[in-house]
Amino acid sequence: MSAEADIAASGKPLLTVEHLTMRFGGLVAIDDVSFQAADERITSIIGPNGAGKTTVFNCLTGFYKPDVGRLVLHHPNGDFLLERMEGFLIARNASIARTFQNIRLFPRMTVLENLIVAQHNVLMRASAFTLGGLLGSARYRDAEEEAVDLARYWLDRMGLTDQADWEAGNLPYGDQRRLEIARAMCTKPVLLCLDEPAAGLNLRESAELNELLVFIRDEHRIGLLLVEHDMSVVMGISDHIVVLDYGRKISDGTPDFVRNDPAVIRAYLGEEEDGEEGYG
Amino acid sequence: MAYFTQQLINGLTLGSIYGLIAIGYTLVYGIIGMINFAHGEIFMIGAFISIIAFLVLGILGVTWIPLALLIVLIATMILTPVYGWALERVAYRPLRGSPRLAALITAIGMSIFLQNYVQLVQGARIKPMQPVISGGFEIMREGSFTVALSYLQILIFVVTVVLMVVFTLVIARTELGRAQRACEQDLGMAALLGIDVDRTISLTFVMGAALASVAGLIFLINYGVIDFYIGFLAGIKAFTAAVLGGIGSLPGAMLGGLLIGLIESFWSAYFTVEYKDVAAYSVLVLVLIFRPTGLLGKPDIEKV
Amino acid sequence: MAATPAIKPFDFPDMFKEAGAAAIVVFALAFAMVGFRTEPVPGGLGITLRFADVAMASVIAFAGRIALILLREGRPFPVLLTTLPFAVILGALLLADQALASENGSGFEPVLPFSSPVVNWMIVIVAAVFAGRAAWAVRHARSTVTAEEREATMDRIGARVQQVARYAGPLLIGFALVLPFLPIADRRLLDIAILVVTYIMLGWGLNIVVGLAGLLDLGYVAFYAVGAYSYALLAQYFDMGFWVCLPFAGIMAAFAGILLGFPVLGLRGDYLAIVTLGFGEMVRIILLNWYKFTKGPDGISGIPRPSFFGLPFTRYPAEGTVSFHGFFGLTYTPLDRIIFLYYLILALALATNVFTLRIRKLPVGRAWEALREDETACRALGINPRNTKLTAFSIGAMFAGFGGSFFATRQGFISPESFTFIESAVILAIVVLGGMGSQIGVVLAAILLIGMPEFFRELHQFRMLAFGAAMVLIMVWRPAGLLAHREPTLRLSATKRLAKAVP
Repeated sequence: MSAEADIAASGKPLLTVEHLTMRFGGLVAIDDVSFQAADERITSIIGPNGAGKTTVFNCLTGFYKPDVGRLVLHHPNGDFLLERMEGFLIARNASIARTFQNIRLFPRMTVLENLIVAQHNVLMRASAFTLGGLLGSARYRDAEEEAVDLARYWLDRMGLTDQADWEAGNLPYGDQRRLEIARAMCTKPVLLCLDEPAAGLNLRESAELNELLVFIRDEHRIGLLLVEHDMSVVMGISDHIVVLDYGRKISDGTPDFVRNDPAVIRAYLGEEEDGEEGYG
Repeated sequence: MAYFTQQLINGLTLGSIYGLIAIGYTLVYGIIGMINFAHGEIFMIGAFISIIAFLVLGILGVTWIPLALLIVLIATMILTPVYGWALERVAYRPLRGSPRLAALITAIGMSIFLQNYVQLVQGARIKPMQPVISGGFEIMREGSFTVALSYLQILIFVVTVVLMVVFTLVIARTELGRAQRACEQDLGMAALLGIDVDRTISLTFVMGAALASVAGLIFLINYGVIDFYIGFLAGIKAFTAAVLGGIGSLPGAMLGGLLIGLIESFWSAYFTVEYKDVAAYSVLVLVLIFRPTGLLGKPDIEKV
Repeated sequence: MAATPAIKPFDFPDMFKEAGAAAIVVFALAFAMVGFRTEPVPGGLGITLRFADVAMASVIAFAGRIALILLREGRPFPVLLTTLPFAVILGALLLADQALASENGSGFEPVLPFSSPVVNWMIVIVAAVFAGRAAWAVRHARSTVTAEEREATMDRIGARVQQVARYAGPLLIGFALVLPFLPIADRRLLDIAILVVTYIMLGWGLNIVVGLAGLLDLGYVAFYAVGAYSYALLAQYFDMGFWVCLPFAGIMAAFAGILLGFPVLGLRGDYLAIVTLGFGEMVRIILLNWYKFTKGPDGISGIPRPSFFGLPFTRYPAEGTVSFHGFFGLTYTPLDRIIFLYYLILALALATNVFTLRIRKLPVGRAWEALREDETACRALGINPRNTKLTAFSIGAMFAGFGGSFFATRQGFISPESFTFIESAVILAIVVLGGMGSQIGVVLAAILLIGMPEFFRELHQFRMLAFGAAMVLIMVWRPAGLLAHREPTLRLSATKRLAKAVP
């Protein structure tokens, strides 16, 4: 698979996954999967339901400890070995942000508060771990203002400014999805992982989402990693696609390469013979 | 050795009581995933109904012990489960599907309520009772120390084993047991498949309460004194037993009960009797920290 | 459930069957436990029969069930026509009975349903509630309130109360400040006020843990005990004064919170609750049995009273010292010390409140609330769940420690008996009833749950019964608590916009 080399060449590598294996009891959810994701590129992991995509995510973001494998994030501050880090440290130090398949907002907090909580660690330092904040230090006040500004920027970008003071749980579904992405972006990640971001969105929302993801890649210049079972969603925007089936990697390359890979057609598209045409 | 054997016997007696209560925790936890904190009070009510039944029988002149015991057993196993049933119906059913903490707070509220209800209607003083069964075997002698196995203890073991077998069979073989196991897997799915979920849950509470009422009766005749407060400590220890055995697992509950009983009795015998409750609590904490699934429980994978 | 139209054909036999079932269940419940009361007699236990009460309970269950069914089926009129006169007549009868009883020693018990006046009053209240619901149904021409409507209404009330609290709060504080100098303030009232404010403070402290961070702590009283014993023992062994010990007691309690919390705060919510309960009991048992150090069940007596900046509140100060009244040239009155204690706890409580209100708006406070909402999401945002929970747990513990050292200095005597699980449950009930996270709710709940039974002593034996029932009813009706309403910690509309855009 020469495509893998192409990808590595087309962008500076951001994430390297080597020999990732994860078992649940007797079930092998991921079996020796290796791939790379490049900086400032959109990498998608696709595969039929139950292929182990979300499990890859959960290993990456520290919710599961993989049985075997090396997960390296090439951060500007140096490399992080993710498999050895606790979940919250991956988010805090390695700057990986993620969203969830079934949205996980803080439903009873407001939209704005959701975005402020995302900046917890910055604000914590600014409030001198609460002490300064309690005493009303100017440094904390400035930091909070900056945090609100970052939140405002994302609210504007997502078109949620008018709902900023709503309880997040009261937002319509599509808005909740976008809020979750905004919240992830407020952590200022180097890698944004999105778990089926298009699930439950209608066509228009889906197109807007694609636009948003491209915007994040081009304007914020970070790497994106998507998990998606519906190929059509990601074909148009992905720079690089990894295909999983039954926990194994069956293909890896550019969208064009993957689309024409016989292994993919057999395992994946073979199921959908009733002619789905034109991806994205 | 003799001393050890005696502690073993005592521990197993105590463990039988804890085990019988623990089954109630485990059944309810298995089926609706809540800690029925008020279950200890059901045990206490079982003990009260037993003592009342004994007194009434005494007044009526039923003095043949085996008959009296049988009547008391039946009375408490019929009347106590009504409390279990009502508890579920009034306090827990409206909360089904709400967060665990809400259910737990309700259960604590119910526990406080029942405790004080019994205190109000029966008075706060301790209730003493004459020993019903006396005598026993002397199974070992070492110097001046004799190891006794009383008839009462034999009866307790027999009753416990019989009940365990019966209830295991009920769960393994009957329609009700199948419905319970289905509800344990997935309440919604069970309902779709035509299982009367409400009825199954109610019956689970009734079963748990029936076993707890027997534990109450055993407690009463073994210790000869009860008050409205006995449910709290026994409840926590039985819960510890259920957790130790693996909450949701029926044999686990019995095993956990016996282990807690043994730990308590050996701790009292060889260390300090004052800190026996601390020992039980420590077991609870340690098990929850290091092996939350208990000895025989199934692991529970977090879904993200 | 949608409103049931009133035209639906009505099934009378069914109604009686259902009501009959309710009566039978109540009969089965009450038969043994209420019907036979065990009484100590010489040589063992005797039995008093109370079948009249059992029968009455069954009848009331039958009638109540019928009323409920009628309400449910959209026929509120008969309910209103029966419950209202019933409530009024029984209420009047009870009042007359009380007046009669206070005049010539006995009223007309035989007419009343139960022997206990409190139970009778409860029945009046229940009937009145039924009448109220029926009246509501008659007016709105429908029988049921949907859960959403109820939630929305309660939400509005909660929001309203909190709005009012913004203005009423300072008034309330003002009232609290002048209370000792009002003509109504006698020793008894001040004692009750001190007690109520103590529980308000403890409620506010626990509210940080339960309301904000969502950690159900059933062993809160352990930290109260640590604070009380810290002060008592320091005073005993090192002769240290209250003011030195107060911060120390708080620190000790916070430290105990960290020590106990660290290994267990990773546990799931309900397991954590049970473990904290275990810790609470362990602390009590250790205090009870470590005789050399804590004097066990005998407790510690002679705990020094607090002084006013070194001026003691004694009539005859020790040689070479000046007492409070002497210094200010007042005549000695024992009330001075009570008033001082009152201000002391008021200050501590207000400090707790100010602290909570402030910390809610800081990152750590927001992280607490976020953890309560979704721990997994918090981890994905780089929030350290354990440390964050630990801060909530230990800060809550610290306030319990302050409260404990106040308790010790007020009582002058402490023993493990004061620190049972029931105490934790009472504080939890205050938080739950008032509304988790609601500061004003805690105040109202504490006044209701602590103050009322103190004023009406006959309620006292029903107090814990009511606590338990209240906890259940609140969880069934409104799990967030009666006055729960969450005020956002910041609003976009209230922040000023900086000119520069942030990419």
